[in-house]
Amino acid sequence: MASQILPLELIDRCIGSRIWVIMKNDREFTGTLLGFDDFVNMVLEDVTEYETTPQGRKKTTLNQTLLNGNNICMLIPGSSGPEDA
Amino acid sequence: MDESTPPPPPPPAASEPSPPPPPSTSGSPTDFLKGVVGKRVVVRLTSGVDYRGILSCLDGYMNIALEQTEEHVNGRVTNRYGDAFIRGNNGTWWFNSLRTPAA
Amino acid sequence: MDASSNGIQEPFDLIRLSLSERVFVKLRGDRELTGVLHAYDGHMNLILSDVEETIMIVDPVEGAPESHTTVNVAKRKMEMLFVRGDGVILVSPPSRT
Repeated sequence: MASQILPLELIDRCIGSRIWVIMKNDREFTGTLLGFDDFVNMVLEDVTEYETTPQGRKKTTLNQTLLNGNNICMLIPGSSGPEDA
Repeated sequence: MDESTPPPPPPPAASEPSPPPPPSTSGSPTDFLKGVVGKRVVVRLTSGVDYRGILSCLDGYMNIALEQTEEHVNGRVTNRYGDAFIRGNNGTWWFNSLRTPAA
Repeated sequence: MDASSNGIQEPFDLIRLSLSERVFVKLRGDRELTGVLHAYDGHMNLILSDVEETIMIVDPVEGAPESHTTVNVAKRKMEMLFVRGDGVILVSPPSRT
């Protein structure tokens, strides 16, 4: 059966590829997924942070980054982020 | 802790052999955190406040201790602390191993 | 390494080493405290004495840019205080250098 793939299994298959992370607040990140845990805390590499402000979108590049799972809203596997959409 | 130390506690000031270097590239958040202890980090709270300093240690609640800490708000230094304890689960924060942007 | 030489193996060690010392505490809601630390627990509930509280009251000026806010600072003193841990953002011990 091609049934029952768990949500986190999908994310597990994304390890090593680019992923787009949308936080609960006005921040978004793209990067290469290095790993994650049961809380969906995530480690990303070669990260771009997008911050949406009234003045427009602010872009920051970061090295390895740990994102707190508490603050994550959505994950889009394989995407290079807002500029790709 | 991953290292078993001998039962008798060593004299406090004794220099312990330094632990083996952490794996250079890490996968899970736990590995990442192990690898980044002793290094410069930026801890960003959801409020947008950054704490920049050297990560002394952290625990399972993600309470963290920083040395030589600078508090940054809107890119300006607003405070300096020799040591700082930051409570985990605080709203939410994330942190990255410094080298934040080359501006 | 630094962390082991100053006896700090876990974050709470930093707090333990600050018992009976004057500490700086940053709380949610733009509150700051300084006081002598008498007790703490795993929630970061604190007992402080001889406390000075600083409250920042930021009044955004209607229609003005963010830089034009006025900040009012209120201070008050308290002899003995319990701080509920969930409001604690940061605790900084006195500098040991």
